Amino acid sequence: MKGLNWPRLRPWVQAGFLALFFFLFLETTYRGRDEILYPVNLFLRFDPLILLSALLSTREIPWAMLPALAVVVLTLILGRAFCGWVCPLGTINHFLSRFGPSRPASSRWKYWILFGLLGSSLLGVQLVGFLDPLSLLIRSLTLAVEPVWNLAGHAIFGGLYEHGVEVFEPLYAFLKEYVLSLRQPLYHQALLVGLIFAAVLLLNLFRPRFWCTHLCPLGALLGLITLLSPLRRWVSSECNLCGLCEARCPSGAASSKEGRWEASECLLCGRCQTLCPKGAVSFGFSLRGREVVEGVDLGRRKIIASIGAGMLLAPLFKVNASPSRGNTLIRPPGSLPEEEFLKRCVRCGECMKVCLTGGIQPAVFEAGIEGVWTPRLDFDLGYCQYACTLCGQVCPTGAIRELTPEEKARTRIGLAHIDRSRCIPWSQGVDCIVCEEHCPTPEKAIKFISGEVLTLKGRRRVKLPVVDYGLCIGCGICQYKCPLEDRPAIVVTPFGASRGGGFLLPA
Amino acid sequence: MKRRDFLKFLMFSPVILRTGAWAEGQPELVVASGGGPEGLVRRAVEALGGMGKFVKRGDRVLVKPNMAWDRGPQYAANTNPRVVAEVVRLCLEAGAREVLVLDNSCEDQRRVYKRSGIAEAAQAAGAKVPFVDPRRFRKVRIGGKVLKEWEVYREALEVDRIVNVPVLKHHSLARLTMGMKNLMGLIGGRRAQLHWQLGEALADLAAFFRPQLVVLDATKVLTKGGPQGGNLKFVKAMGMVVVGSDQVAVDAMGARLFGLEPEEISYVAAAHRRGLGEMDLRKLRIKRVRCEGA
Repeated sequence: MKGLNWPRLRPWVQAGFLALFFFLFLETTYRGRDEILYPVNLFLRFDPLILLSALLSTREIPWAMLPALAVVVLTLILGRAFCGWVCPLGTINHFLSRFGPSRPASSRWKYWILFGLLGSSLLGVQLVGFLDPLSLLIRSLTLAVEPVWNLAGHAIFGGLYEHGVEVFEPLYAFLKEYVLSLRQPLYHQALLVGLIFAAVLLLNLFRPRFWCTHLCPLGALLGLITLLSPLRRWVSSECNLCGLCEARCPSGAASSKEGRWEASECLLCGRCQTLCPKGAVSFGFSLRGREVVEGVDLGRRKIIASIGAGMLLAPLFKVNASPSRGNTLIRPPGSLPEEEFLKRCVRCGECMKVCLTGGIQPAVFEAGIEGVWTPRLDFDLGYCQYACTLCGQVCPTGAIRELTPEEKARTRIGLAHIDRSRCIPWSQGVDCIVCEEHCPTPEKAIKFISGEVLTLKGRRRVKLPVVDYGLCIGCGICQYKCPLEDRPAIVVTPFGASRGGGFLLPA
Repeated sequence: MKRRDFLKFLMFSPVILRTGAWAEGQPELVVASGGGPEGLVRRAVEALGGMGKFVKRGDRVLVKPNMAWDRGPQYAANTNPRVVAEVVRLCLEAGAREVLVLDNSCEDQRRVYKRSGIAEAAQAAGAKVPFVDPRRFRKVRIGGKVLKEWEVYREALEVDRIVNVPVLKHHSLARLTMGMKNLMGLIGGRRAQLHWQLGEALADLAAFFRPQLVVLDATKVLTKGGPQGGNLKFVKAMGMVVVGSDQVAVDAMGARLFGLEPEEISYVAAAHRRGLGEMDLRKLRIKRVRCEGA
């Protein structure tokens, strides 16, 4: 790689991958077809950290994640080129680091984080999604950034429209078609997720690429793989110890001829090679000279301690009783049984992004502490559209299985229950039937019986809604559409859900 | 009048017309049957005096189909897209400046517009088919018996003409949904609450919107499981279209096609009581058009 000015290509490659990432993010939505046209979860499926942790937690080969092996191979050759050239969060951090002081450093923290996460995965508690950079980025964009840019877009164009300025309406129509969403997205936890994301971004102003060099568990994993790679950095005798490379390296990996290059920290950005006034820095491959590569000095005790901490954390999560667990938790259709689900879900938010109605929401404590930010259906905010199978199509790990429309129609995610003390026909003797009207099953799961209700105005004959347990699939449109908006008189609970395994319904 | 009597009446009505009993004026209601949806619409509107009677050159026209449900055309849960497209073409031929087709759907708009087949067919016919924009609802005075004020879609307030193109189908609460029930797609707010006083509320809407023309699609009808449908077992091919400018009369005829008495439909009776139109079919000049092979 001598002579070739490859670092010059890096910004273009980064911009290209970032553009691809945002394109796929925006396409994670309904575009008039029952199937998602693009592989919108592509980046996640190339994530070796998710591959490894899923392998450890499920002890099965996560077939959908096998593309991640390509990144492993890439890293075995080119070190952390993924971090420096491909990772969209890395690119955003790289860009923002321009606005902060150049005082490069790296930290071992990320390795302890990695080992801790893998330790808990080993015991079946999958926490990797909290800190996996791609999950973090997609989740933050979905839950916080996109809702904010929608709010801003609609507020700006809406404000103009309200004041009679209509010249921007064609532009607005274009944005609504491709960039803004039809419906303003609203999510639980948007504030917290947004603040965490803001913190990750602001840390770049403290040290360059702080997240990547100090915290990122994927960076740590790739750093460890890099130690096996033949990638080398040479500093020739031309070096006059000016110190420019050390001062400007974004990750504290570069050194002069007197120091040692830290392969596991190097993002292969090539800045040191470009900046060197003497042209003394070059990168290349060699299987010899391993001794000049600084291995990460992690220390056996610390490795064991961090894995052990992760393994200790796992049972603590397991024994933490959550009063609401299982009571209100309704997972998207096709979700695996809860144990299996939690071993796979990386909380990336793809399913929430793609949900037509905004019904898929990040759990707070409904799924226990272990299930924070995993998807749940909130039928007060949206419902499950009968013929839609998008969430299963975009799930990168198979925590939500992809269903055919026929399977979907047979998948019960819960059952609707009528609160007769609030339901208008039952309690007031007035016809309503909105739930029955919206019920989408080919033979309606909400039926009505004609009956007399004793009211203050005497006996009245009305249509009284009753749920047929045998037909209800728990889609929640009845709860969402119930005219008693404050507290719906029909509520879907997870009772009887298909994913719960065998159950008996009252005959 | 029982159905059997009515069919006899229909059979003899051309005779009555020919004898000059109803010679004065054009028919108030046209019932077309046989042939494809386009021919039915075209012949029926022609028989009523042509679209030019209702749509003037330069008008902005809102064509309001029933485009409420995420169901394909075969399920007859939404208006037949071919019926909507033909109405759009007739409006444009009559010189309309712009034809809008929209509905405040009951399910996700993107899926409903697409799956109903209406967006594609209406656009191909030359209409604009915008999604309903939540900013464009205006709280206005309805001045009705139960609806005092309500959110109404801006386009419905601003256009020169409204052509209501409902589908005739079963409805669990209203028994049937036809023209007046279809007007609920022009309002926003907590419209599900209208169900609590449906007859009077729909009469309020009928009095407020007063569409110039109603084209009732009975090409395929959902006989049970409405309004959502989703079961082909309950879809029957009827091959008819009813048109008229009296929205009460059109719905009354729709009820009759279903074998019901108009007064059994709460909103038809309520609208009739308020003098919004005539539900007594004996008092109407009705023309029957056959479009075999059209």
